[in-house]
Amino acid sequence: MQIDIQHIAKLSRLFIEEEKLEKFQQEMESIVAMCEKLPPMDGDYMAVDPSNPMQLRQDLVRPSLNREQLLQNAPQTQAGCVVVPKVVE
Amino acid sequence: MELFELTAASLSEKLRKKECSAVEITRSVLGQIARKEEQIGSFVTVCEEQALKKAQQVDQKLAAGEALSPLAGIPIGVKDNICTKNVLTTCSSRMLHNFVPPYNATVAEKLEQADAVLIGKCNMDEFAMGSSCETSYFQKTKNPWNPDCVPGGSSGGSAACVSAGEAVLSLGSDTGGSIRLPAAYCGVVGLKPTYGSVSRYGLVAFASSLDQIGPLGRSVEDVASLYSVICGRDPMDATSAAREYGDFAKELNRSVKGMRIGIPKEYFGDGVEPKVKEAVMAAIDRLVKEGAQTVSISLPSTDYALSAYYIISSAEASSNLARFDGVKYGYRAEGYANLLEMYEKTRSEGFGDEVKRRIMLGTFVLSSGFYDAYYKRAKQMQQKIAQEYDEAFSRCDIIVTPTSPSPAFKIGERTNDPLKMYAADICTVTVNIAGLPAISVPCGAAQDKMPVGLQMIGPKFSEQTLFNTAGCFENLCGGFGVAPAMKG
Repeated sequence: MQIDIQHIAKLSRLFIEEEKLEKFQQEMESIVAMCEKLPPMDGDYMAVDPSNPMQLRQDLVRPSLNREQLLQNAPQTQAGCVVVPKVVE
Repeated sequence: MELFELTAASLSEKLRKKECSAVEITRSVLGQIARKEEQIGSFVTVCEEQALKKAQQVDQKLAAGEALSPLAGIPIGVKDNICTKNVLTTCSSRMLHNFVPPYNATVAEKLEQADAVLIGKCNMDEFAMGSSCETSYFQKTKNPWNPDCVPGGSSGGSAACVSAGEAVLSLGSDTGGSIRLPAAYCGVVGLKPTYGSVSRYGLVAFASSLDQIGPLGRSVEDVASLYSVICGRDPMDATSAAREYGDFAKELNRSVKGMRIGIPKEYFGDGVEPKVKEAVMAAIDRLVKEGAQTVSISLPSTDYALSAYYIISSAEASSNLARFDGVKYGYRAEGYANLLEMYEKTRSEGFGDEVKRRIMLGTFVLSSGFYDAYYKRAKQMQQKIAQEYDEAFSRCDIIVTPTSPSPAFKIGERTNDPLKMYAADICTVTVNIAGLPAISVPCGAAQDKMPVGLQMIGPKFSEQTLFNTAGCFENLCGGFGVAPAMKG
């Protein structure tokens, strides 16, 4: 199958350099060809393992990390907020 | 024998008998790191100062007569995708090259509570995507049995450090074989636990429905001991199972009398190297002499497993890795005109090619018009594979296969062919797809004396049976140890 690598890259928020396009294209097509081996099958599938129903935590206030700790890894911060380029014109 | 070559069980006994101190154990392992790390490259970060401080605390507790856990004072390596408070956690990616978690993963917290010594953070394939440890942004880890060969992946550093005597035990993570494959390639024991038995809180997610943290070590008892410490229900991970666990090391009986061993013909086909097949069959014969019996079984959908695995794992990865955008943590590119450009540039510079391939494959299989033909089929196949295992386990207690069709390959040999690289996981992926536990133990050697791994697969939560069988085989082999070239 022909894959529009630039379209997929755009959806993935990735940029593929011109010189690597062909390599990625070929590799992706051979990987997708492997994936196409799956036969069509009937029936639905189970999204959650019925033998292990997930238990959610109670919605309670509990100790957590403070703002300073949470922001210590952010690339750019100011006055306790993360800084990003302008979002709204 | 030097201290760094001993098992956790014997070191723990020495500590109790005051034949050595925790500081001496840590120094012995740090000494081995100083001698071998340049050649092997197991670690992204070595925690020398912190490790010695922890060892001193253990010695103080010992002197005060406090009761200690079996892991107290034992140097342990932790894969670099498991968050360790105030210790760099990079996932071997440029994207997280500077990430210092403000919290511990649940397993890291449990190690801390058990007074284990965090000796370092282990190198891995970037974001655990790979089978050779070659996609790490920082370095290529070498196989301690032959430095021209890969250690396997993705937990390559976790297996190499244990095999090289640079740690006594380690933690890895296994999404499609990432603990068992490097354990097999490096000649150590590695357990992929039942999905849901070990908390994933603080594990940087790759494919959340398949990922599981597990132990690696040089003896079955050590691996059982570390598993006993890390397993259990955790309210911070909704997928962790609500059940009680015993002490797997204490209950180790090393008996296979009356055990039915299933041998699936699909795992012994032409793709498996003859020497590997020979070694695995010889191991089965030895277990039969100990009172086990063999049953021929079939897992007919095995041929489709790799396809289903790469679809499901990449789909989940494309979603999980969307969080790396240069805003909250990690790498941020420079020179962008707007927010979208910042995302694109950050992700393009921060991720390596293999990670990009998987994100794009995942995006593709989930994209409009393709979902039914790929993702839905893969999930249906997942169910079929799980059912085939259920049927097989009505006729046998465990299933034995090679861990990988071949021993460790040469560095660089498969980097240009993703499909050839993916094929290394052919014997391990079905276990993750079905959520089962499996252990890899060394079982002899192939050509060039490289280790071969024997994989034992059991029904969900049958870890004790796996330890008993692996323990029986370990006794027959006379035990395992550090790689020959790494001995003191």
